[in-house]
Amino acid sequence: MTQTTRREVMALISGALAGATLGGHAFAQGTPKRGGILRISAPANPSSLDPATGGAGSDHAFLFTMYDTLTEWDFETLKPKPGLAESWTFSDPTTLVLNIRSGVTFHDGTPLDAEAVKFNLERNKRDPKSNIKADLAAMESAAVTGPLQVTLKLSTPDAALPGILSDRAGMMVSPAAVKASAAGNVARTPVGAGAYAFVSWADGEKIVIKRNEKYWKPNRPYPDGIEFSIIPELTTGSRSVTAGQNDLMYQLPPRQKAIVERASSIKIFNGPTLYVFQIFLNWAKPPFDNIKVRQAFNFAIDRETFVKAALAGLAEPAYMNLPKAHWAYDKSVAGLYPYDPDKAKKLLIEAGFKDGLPIELVGYPDQDSVQRQEILIEQFRKAGMNVRFLNAPIAEASAAFFGAEKRGSGILAAWTGRPDPSLTYSLMFTKDAYYNGGRGAVPPELEAAIKESRASEDIELRRKAFATVQRLVMENAFVAPLAFQFELVAMNKKVQGYRPNLLGKPKYDDVWLES
Amino acid sequence: MARRSPTRVIGGRLLQALPVILLATFMVFALLKLVPGDIAVTLAGDNATDARITEIRKVYGLDRPFLVQYGAWLANVVQGDLSQSLLTGEKVATSISRAFPNTLLIVAIALVLALVTGIPMGVIAAIKPDGWVDKTVSMIASLGVAIPGFWLAMILVAEISLKLNWLPATGAKSFSVSPIEAIRHALLPGIAIAAYGMAEVARQLRGSLLEVLSSQYVRTLHAKGLSMTRILWQHGLKNVSVNLFTIISILVNRMLAATVVIEAVFAIPGLGSLIVRGAIQRDFPIVQGVVFTMVIVVILVNLIADLLCAAVDPRIEQ
Repeated sequence: MTQTTRREVMALISGALAGATLGGHAFAQGTPKRGGILRISAPANPSSLDPATGGAGSDHAFLFTMYDTLTEWDFETLKPKPGLAESWTFSDPTTLVLNIRSGVTFHDGTPLDAEAVKFNLERNKRDPKSNIKADLAAMESAAVTGPLQVTLKLSTPDAALPGILSDRAGMMVSPAAVKASAAGNVARTPVGAGAYAFVSWADGEKIVIKRNEKYWKPNRPYPDGIEFSIIPELTTGSRSVTAGQNDLMYQLPPRQKAIVERASSIKIFNGPTLYVFQIFLNWAKPPFDNIKVRQAFNFAIDRETFVKAALAGLAEPAYMNLPKAHWAYDKSVAGLYPYDPDKAKKLLIEAGFKDGLPIELVGYPDQDSVQRQEILIEQFRKAGMNVRFLNAPIAEASAAFFGAEKRGSGILAAWTGRPDPSLTYSLMFTKDAYYNGGRGAVPPELEAAIKESRASEDIELRRKAFATVQRLVMENAFVAPLAFQFELVAMNKKVQGYRPNLLGKPKYDDVWLES
Repeated sequence: MARRSPTRVIGGRLLQALPVILLATFMVFALLKLVPGDIAVTLAGDNATDARITEIRKVYGLDRPFLVQYGAWLANVVQGDLSQSLLTGEKVATSISRAFPNTLLIVAIALVLALVTGIPMGVIAAIKPDGWVDKTVSMIASLGVAIPGFWLAMILVAEISLKLNWLPATGAKSFSVSPIEAIRHALLPGIAIAAYGMAEVARQLRGSLLEVLSSQYVRTLHAKGLSMTRILWQHGLKNVSVNLFTIISILVNRMLAATVVIEAVFAIPGLGSLIVRGAIQRDFPIVQGVVFTMVIVVILVNLIADLLCAAVDPRIEQ
């Protein structure tokens, strides 16, 4: 991580927060103190509290509090750093050795040792209900090579693994709890080794967790517990914070920011995330089977204006799938598609569409989505493209576009970040990936470059490999990225020590409550 | 004509309810399956592959024919098991028994408010038809029907919760743990739903009371020298009570439907929120369970209304 990039991050984060992220503890106005219950408004009921069987990106906001991960990430750049594994080494490109921290126990008192890690990794890889088998595709076996050492044998070099182990695949569940539960189902009875232990979960209503008194990180966590109220209606969620029923709300919609800020008791933190609004394209059928049309489509988008008009300026224009702050961001790729409607028109003519081109896209019917669509329709119109949106609820629209029906030529949706960028690229830009909506062919050099990005653990080499991946994706214009959404978190003033992170899935590591 | 015993009447009505329950749950099930969107995709999570989605359909039995899936659900219900959420594994019966009291409290408060305000309005308006009181009542009633509940709800929250801080803006509390707190939380949503009910009660009551008051026997009562108050209480209201019970039963059903929107505005974990979540995620056991419960409630409410009508008006054949 160079200093320049770090400074760029800071430039993006609002002034008040900048001090916070830079100075570690200096941000806290006063000494952190223990006690109090943190009340959080959460926008979605978790799909499961078992990291292996769950599926939704919104689950992490709960999972991170109860499960610690083998590796963790740097809040600002997402570079992996030690977690439950205090160190790791690739003894050769296909052998990863993890050294587990000593003295860590699960909430049920059983030790988190090499046996427990092996148990978890094998469960994640082999259990029929596991949703994260693909994350560990490269892992052939996990062997206990010491009381606190696990050695992973890989079928191919996979430098993405340390990053992957900071997410679901690295969340350690108590083996005793899994073995004791019927069919190994711990979705509703989670036992981890995280900062908080599970108390109760009422579906769609409330999740209660309490401090893990034997947590390995010194003095953490500060609050006695957390109560999540599940409030899917975001406007209602933000009202619950302004009216004082909750202390904090994440995923505040940008349009709500001005309203919430009127309450003097509320402060709002924001920072860039990997969550990117984008138009996924189906490049297996007309018109996007023509590279010139895809490129024209990308030239037609005025991303700066889109951010201002659709996202209240609270986003970073996206020219590829990684934001500026990310360790693998490549500046030269970002310059490929400046806003240029004339160029777009020219490319369309070259592609044989002299008299304009009608395009049908799939979208979502909610207010914010429709607003985004209207702005884009106008931008595309200026470049000679008549875009029409076929709107349907999220579940229907995405199934219609990515599933068998192949409705529309593209879908205006979003991509939530992944802990390692190689996942982002392999899940969208390989031949058989589900998020390659048309399952269209991909140039062999792109598949090779994605593979290459996992070959070496050296971060400079990986950065170069990702530069190639990003360049190939964008030169082929397989996607039209629009904007990286900022994480917007509203909280009342007694909440201290909150830090946004680049993944955009909140962690409450240093949060404490002023009395 | 010999009257049938009440138990037989109730038993017969409940038997008639069976096909209704079957039809309603089957239609909802069919709708959920016909509408595109697939819970297998949700279950497969963010890193889905086609293979994984196919595998999930198998693991969760979603690849079975449509009728087989409905049959399996029905077989469980017959054994008293509403099965469980496909997504989170919570028992549907647990979800419903937790959500139902919250919804019930809102509807109860809304109904009481609608009657307490609507009945006097209707009566006053009927006594002096076309006077300024009647016109005012008519205007308020028209507003009550026209104003959307969710809009009223937001105005109430903005003024009463956020500005004045009198009542909580969101959430629900358990009635059995703290009745006062529970009512405080349910009051604003109750008012939001009651507005429509008040208007409906006032309008309908005014109409039917006017009819009664202009009938010949009331003129006779006047001629006998009975006071207006006595005519109203002893004869008028008793005669319109049949209409009133019918209005109430329709209102309760409408209010139950209105909670779907109102619960979202107030973040109340009731039946409405439950069915919305189930429908969005295509988690059909939840939707089926709630529909099943709602159908039973509606049938019970109608049955009670019919029995009450029969009790006050012997002319009504059971």
